[in-house]
Amino acid sequence: MESALELHDLTVAYHKKPVLYGIDLAVPSGKMVGIVGPNGAGKSTLIKAVLGLAPVAGGWVKVFGKSYRENCKRVGYVPQRESVDWDFPVSVMDVVLMGRYGHLRLAQRPTARDREIAMQCLDKVQMLPLANRQIGNLSGGQQQRVFLARALAQESDLYLMDEPFVGVDAATEAAIIAVLQELREQGKTLLVVHHDLANARSYFDQLILINMRLVAYGDTVEVFTPEVLQATYGGRLTLLDDVAQAMARRPALDSDRR
Amino acid sequence: MSGSKKKRISTASGWQMLVLGGLLLLLPTAAQAARISELVDTDFAQRAARFFTFQDASLRDALLGSMLLGGCCGMMGAFLVVRKLALMGDSLSHAVLPGVALGFLWHLSKDPVAIFIGATLAGLLGAGTVQLLRRTTRHQEDAALGFVLAAFFSIGICLFTMIQNLPGSSKSGLDKFMFGQAAALGREDVMLLAVVAVAVTMAVTLLFKEYRVTSFDPGFARSIGLPVQALHYSLMLLLAFAIVSALQAVGIVLVSAMLVIPAAAAYLLTDRLSLMVLLGAAFGVMAAASGAFFSFAGSNLPTGPFMVLSAAAIFAAAFLFAPRHGWLTRWWRERCQAARVRRENLLKAMYHALEQCSFITEQISVRELAERRRQTLEEMHAALRELERHGLVTVAADRSVVSFTPAGWQRACEIVRNHRLWELYLTRSAQYAADHVHDDAESVEHLLSEATVMQLEKQLNYARRDPHGKLIPGLADIQRGARVTPRDTEAGGML
Amino acid sequence: MTDLIPEFSWETVFLTPWREDVDLTIWIVATGFLVTTACGLIGHYLLLRRLALVGDAISHSILPGLVAAFAITGTTALWASMLGALVAGLVTVALIELIHRHSRIKPDAAICIVFTTLFALGVAMMSVLEAQGSIHLDADCVLYGEMTWVAIEPPLQIGGWTPVEMPGPVLRLLLLVGVLVAGIAFFYKELLLTSFDPGLARALGMRTQAWHYGLMGGLALVVVSVFESVGAILPVAMLIVPPMFAAELSDRLSIRMVWTVVHAAAAAVLGMHLAVWLNCTAAGAMVVCSSALFVLVWVGGLAVRRLRLRRVMRGGGA
Repeated sequence: MESALELHDLTVAYHKKPVLYGIDLAVPSGKMVGIVGPNGAGKSTLIKAVLGLAPVAGGWVKVFGKSYRENCKRVGYVPQRESVDWDFPVSVMDVVLMGRYGHLRLAQRPTARDREIAMQCLDKVQMLPLANRQIGNLSGGQQQRVFLARALAQESDLYLMDEPFVGVDAATEAAIIAVLQELREQGKTLLVVHHDLANARSYFDQLILINMRLVAYGDTVEVFTPEVLQATYGGRLTLLDDVAQAMARRPALDSDRR
Repeated sequence: MSGSKKKRISTASGWQMLVLGGLLLLLPTAAQAARISELVDTDFAQRAARFFTFQDASLRDALLGSMLLGGCCGMMGAFLVVRKLALMGDSLSHAVLPGVALGFLWHLSKDPVAIFIGATLAGLLGAGTVQLLRRTTRHQEDAALGFVLAAFFSIGICLFTMIQNLPGSSKSGLDKFMFGQAAALGREDVMLLAVVAVAVTMAVTLLFKEYRVTSFDPGFARSIGLPVQALHYSLMLLLAFAIVSALQAVGIVLVSAMLVIPAAAAYLLTDRLSLMVLLGAAFGVMAAASGAFFSFAGSNLPTGPFMVLSAAAIFAAAFLFAPRHGWLTRWWRERCQAARVRRENLLKAMYHALEQCSFITEQISVRELAERRRQTLEEMHAALRELERHGLVTVAADRSVVSFTPAGWQRACEIVRNHRLWELYLTRSAQYAADHVHDDAESVEHLLSEATVMQLEKQLNYARRDPHGKLIPGLADIQRGARVTPRDTEAGGML
Repeated sequence: MTDLIPEFSWETVFLTPWREDVDLTIWIVATGFLVTTACGLIGHYLLLRRLALVGDAISHSILPGLVAAFAITGTTALWASMLGALVAGLVTVALIELIHRHSRIKPDAAICIVFTTLFALGVAMMSVLEAQGSIHLDADCVLYGEMTWVAIEPPLQIGGWTPVEMPGPVLRLLLLVGVLVAGIAFFYKELLLTSFDPGLARALGMRTQAWHYGLMGGLALVVVSVFESVGAILPVAMLIVPPMFAAELSDRLSIRMVWTVVHAAAAAVLGMHLAVWLNCTAAGAMVVCSSALFVLVWVGGLAVRRLRLRRVMRGGGA
């Protein structure tokens, strides 16, 4: 079966930020996968590297067998909530409609059908009554639901979500999980960065455990063991850290040439 | 039906009259079109009259040009403000100076097209330099912007003084670029301005969706395959257009004000980007027109400062009086809220007084109430008068006793209910100690909405007693009014 | 185009200024050096606090302070303009805070709104006063100052006695630099800590807000002192570029300060020669040289890093 997401020897290097080092991964479609690791392990960076938002220093990424650029319409993205300015003058509906932009040509207006899809997605996360609110007037959980609705509106096959459960209330967390499970039933693939080990086990079919390098990847029941967790959370490897820092300096120079 | 039709006809004829009148005014002026600077009448009123009757062709050009540039700048400014690029506007507007000087050198005359091209190129070069500095050094954005501003502007200044020292060149034309002189706008300038305004408007309308998503969430925009970098540079190009169009009338030093201030005022007034762009443009037009007026009426003062001051007045009004985000409106709202809390606290004290005597009487002595609230009798009388004005209590004629009106009784019950429900919620669900919940409930009681209270009641299984054993007034008590005491008073009356 | 750039000759550009009019040359270079040093030293702290463009803002917004001081007192005396500028500078900082704290306007827009409005106010007041004929403030002077005039002003005299044989403004600038150096040396660790880690500074009981306003007051003082020689717009260059230059060369603040002084001297001398060659304003030419020096170390640094990398790679391959 074709992999939804395939990473080969992926190395990511920021100027002074955590890096990822030689990640090999092949995620089959139809799975709900959690990405777990300590702070600064590069969980978000992994997602950003797939999306081309982080500088890839080596290796490659394939989405459904093609490069990300070619297949970007099949990928939906939920960024971290803090990554945007919530004072921005847009309404909830405007934000969800942005999910349709990938399917529209440059300078093309969203059609009535796009609006209808956006409404349905809002309804799915129970936010339809607030469609005309400015996004800053929402609670944290509601803001996260808006981002989820936007990703739904993308109608993708692979969803990448960056910490969707941070700072949301219990009701929202349950609602989001219900939507994610429904997506999985439809055969979509989900990669979710998650920070809470307590419920990682019950939420996900598979887990990716990373701490700058891939520690383990597999079915949750197999990899969620004390040994693997110890290997993931038991401190960074000093030598790897040093070498990775040195690597980080080199690509920064290479990027000048580009 | 016929009425509305008639009304429409009459408005239409009104418009026709206006247009006709305007045309009539145009006829004689074509012959006597004079440079504004040649006008000799110095009376402020005369000049104002002259301004509003649009007698001079050159004045019309100046006004039309100012309004076009105001609209252009306001529109682009909206994007600058939401992208937090206000200082980029400042930087680029200084960075175009060498371009202006070189454009001037092309023909050694004030050729609008050459200056336009030169300045646009310089602006783009400046934007590129900022990006390059950001990528290859560890300097922050502000330093990169400052460097571009400084380096480009100083080169421009040097070129500028070199041109002034050239034999045979008239420096008068170039001088105006510093502080702006709308009167210097000629027919060709206005044509160019119109072209720029149309181009900017078209680009913004066509690419509005893209600009909105790249401004709001650039990471997401990249992930759906939008050319974020190219869009950024196209926006910078439009920005350079707007800056260059404003140079002559506003002056290099103050262009950034015309970009940012109208848009910032719009930002305070609306929650929609589309509306913000329109409002920004409208404010820009208003500021530019009134700036042009003051500059003209005050005998050829530089235009730029007056445009900026008009824009600042609009911003100040928005900052103080905007319905939701205004400073004064918020202050007023908070004041009203504080007054409401004071009223509600007094109602609550009255309820407690009644509760203490087990709701035997309906009347509370004002003196006792004053002691309870630790206030003087005068203060209490004033507070009660306010409650009376709101129809919440009735004070007896001799002002010694006070009793609830039905509305007051209902509100008092609600407040006490909110307070006690919240205390109960904190002790039961959040495991607070019973003696630690009062202060929190004091502030929360005024904020709970009807829906939240319902939810609370449901979660607490419609409990009747608070953590201190006091009765929580139920819906039934509230509806029955002050005439009837709450049930179970024998237990609820205890302190 | 050919008339614009005069013919270059070593003789006229580099030797004549030092042979004829030595006094003038020396004082122009000294003025440039002192101005750039003063701005550069305080500029380090602006850069560290990411307030580079607040420097720009204050250097613009002292203008209404100057004009108002003149309109009220009727003199162009030093104390009046200093006071006016100081008030205007602090008003600017307070207004910026007010706007971004009490509305959702972001700080960058708040800075832009405040200083452009104040500058517009200054220019408007100036032109109204000028229309009434009470003053003649030259627009050119606001834009790029008059370094040459500063250099030929008579020496400071106290009751007929001349303490030092140097033009009054240069002496004042010298005093300013002296005060700045003393202030920085005295409060080095406080300024460093409040700039680098305000959170820690607050935890240690330092009044960061007071230090902020103090720094801004100092900035207003510097900007008004250099106003007559370089105008209202060029100080931003001298506030930002020397520290950026020094930051490319060293990682330690104290050493960066030394580099700033070196850079100021080089920029002043080179700028003077450039101005002589191109027959343009000395202040502008000095900033051009200062920027060019920065570009030199910036591109040079990139090239050196690239070369070193290539050597390492080659070494690794062998």
